[in-house]
Amino acid sequence: MLSTVYGALMLLYLGVGLLFLAAGLWASPSLNRWARVLFGAGLAAHTAALLGRWWESYHLALGHTPLTNFSEKLRLVILQAPMSNFYESLVFFAWCLPFLAILTFRRYLRDYLGTVVALAACLLLAYASLGGVDSRIKPLMPALKSNWLLFHVVTCFLGYAAFTLGFGVAILYLVQEKRPRPSLPPLPELDRLIYQATIIGFLLLTLGILTGAVWAETAWGRYWSWDPKETWSLITWLVYATLLHARLVKGWQGRRIAWLAVLGFLAVLFTYFGVSFLLPGLHSYLT
Amino acid sequence: MSASSSDIRLFSWLGRQLTSIRLTVFLLLILAVVAVVGTVAFPGIYYQSWFLAPLGLLALNLLACLVEGLPQAVKKVARPFTGEMALALPERGRFTWPGDAEAATLAQEALRRELGRPRREIIDEKEVFFYRRGRLRPLGPYIVHLALVLILAGGVVGKFWGIEGRVLLQPELPVSSINLEGPQKTLPLAFQVRLDRFQVLYYEEGGGTPKEFRSDLTFFQDGEEKARAVCRVNEPVTFGGYTFYQSSYGAMPQGAIPVQVSRGNKRQVLELFLRRWVRLPESEFQFMAVRVEANLQGHGPAVQLAYRSGSAHPQVFWLLQKQPELAEPHGAFRLALGPLNLQYYSVLQVKQDPGVWWVYLGFILILPGLYLAFFRPSQRWAVVLKKGKGGRWEGRLLGASPRGRETFAAHTERLLARLQGGAS
Ligand code: HEM
Repeated sequence: MLSTVYGALMLLYLGVGLLFLAAGLWASPSLNRWARVLFGAGLAAHTAALLGRWWESYHLALGHTPLTNFSEKLRLVILQAPMSNFYESLVFFAWCLPFLAILTFRRYLRDYLGTVVALAACLLLAYASLGGVDSRIKPLMPALKSNWLLFHVVTCFLGYAAFTLGFGVAILYLVQEKRPRPSLPPLPELDRLIYQATIIGFLLLTLGILTGAVWAETAWGRYWSWDPKETWSLITWLVYATLLHARLVKGWQGRRIAWLAVLGFLAVLFTYFGVSFLLPGLHSYLT
Repeated sequence: MSASSSDIRLFSWLGRQLTSIRLTVFLLLILAVVAVVGTVAFPGIYYQSWFLAPLGLLALNLLACLVEGLPQAVKKVARPFTGEMALALPERGRFTWPGDAEAATLAQEALRRELGRPRREIIDEKEVFFYRRGRLRPLGPYIVHLALVLILAGGVVGKFWGIEGRVLLQPELPVSSINLEGPQKTLPLAFQVRLDRFQVLYYEEGGGTPKEFRSDLTFFQDGEEKARAVCRVNEPVTFGGYTFYQSSYGAMPQGAIPVQVSRGNKRQVLELFLRRWVRLPESEFQFMAVRVEANLQGHGPAVQLAYRSGSAHPQVFWLLQKQPELAEPHGAFRLALGPLNLQYYSVLQVKQDPGVWWVYLGFILILPGLYLAFFRPSQRWAVVLKKGKGGRWEGRLLGASPRGRETFAAHTERLLARLQGGAS
């Protein structure tokens, strides 16, 4: 049932992306308004679907381990957050994009920037639904049974989403610089948005790495093992730290910052997809 | 003997290099490259000087910047913001109000609404309302850098003063030492630990995804029982300054491993032992049990066998108790695994890490540091009012935010709109 919902959502996000695109091409405020309303509706439906899966997976787990005590039930709810395999992480990543964009970028969520965000969410859902990813709910393996799982995954993926927004804006910046378009925000504004997406993403990724380290310490007695995923998240973090220093200490702006945001996003992509498929390690249960 | 001038020059050059951001970028690049190489080709590289040397230099770099910059940042934060200083801020916009406007109230209100309650001074017949936000911002980067130094230091402390080992526990056999990393090194403990029971629980009967690995432990000291605890993945147990983590487990056969070998219609039962070659009577063929699993990927008990004929290179394969036909056929043999008397053992990771608190302190510090550095840009504002020639109020908005152009521009715009529309 839920997979049909995600299929429909994917189409909805695609439609929203096209509406935003049309709004940009014809400079139409009313198309923008429609697209935003639909985007909000999509986010609401997406939220409901996530909660639905959470509910389902909680009840499956309850079937394995009947509990009566309230605090044990609460802990089970936290453990069963739908973020424990690759499929669930894709769907959650897709959710983070509109969520974060609406939360932090509301005023700029129109025209081409809206297109980028909606299409990115659509692509992630498309991969989840059509990419042959195993979508079954499976019981948690012992290593994943930790309260830190929820915080770790939420912060990491919100961070990835912020970096995705930064990447989208950076691409628009580079386009706007080459072929100026009046329907795109002016360059200084785009430059500012790249910076804002980056600091939000940096804070969240930092939190993600820290919660991961604390979790690893409780599970294996090692807060850091140089596992490929860990190492690549550190590389990603260092790229964005470089961006922030270049900007705050050296005063870099504009094109060079935009390219660094692109580079950082490539590191994010590799951390998320590349490591899972190419390099084995502690996080390989994600696939 | 005093230091020669060339020594002094050398030191100041070194100091400059150590505090330079160019060195930082250079080191970060090296680290990134080595890290990439490590994940792709040489996993052990993180413990070699290729990686540790730039990391150490980075720590020095951070420390040097900290020593150089922190006192200045503290001074900056401690300096009060006065009306005089506010008057010297650059101008951001002008406005005029009718002479009968409640100018003081209007200015105060506009600032309060947009930012916060301003202070007020009268300087040379000018009314100055001023406000500072993000006073602690200059400390932010240094708190972040300090936190990073703490984390790196914690790593070093753990590496040199920490203890990392493992212990293999068989049921009912108390153990009072742990095996350290490295060849054949053991460390005696001041207590004994005994495994009372090890269990692998599955979500479904008969295998599949494991639900829980649990070791029931009892600790003894001087022959007396001191504590009982359950150690699970994600739920370590601490006793006597050491922390025990459920790491892995295995099964060991008690006694021989019976393997039935059929050739044509001749049957023989071989008694195998772990890591020992046994010759099939009246033949060239030898078998050895390499490993035993109580439940090989949900298929039940299995033994990994090595097989060789004469001096040929051995072949290795799995023999399952329930599905012997899956074992690779070897010439004319058919093999079957007899009943096993298996006993689980549990492997625990044992750790004592005095550095972990430094690391956690760093984790805790880095968050307010990031918040101050990126989300509390320091801003100074002033609204200056003066009666002009025609008796009208002439106002100026002043302000500066050296590292926070982003929010500053937005505030300027809104403040000016408030002030310019203020008296209408
Ligand atoms: C990766 C996490 C890091 C963060 C979030 C961070 C944050 C910052 C920030 C926000 C600034 C700007 C200072 C300002 O605006 O006044 C700064 C400056 C600086 N950072 Fe970092 N930093 C990090 C790591 C490093 C590292 C690893 C080094 C190298 C050792 C370093 C060296 C410096 C230097 C030299 C400055 C200039 C100091 C100054 O101008 O006062 N930082 N850092």
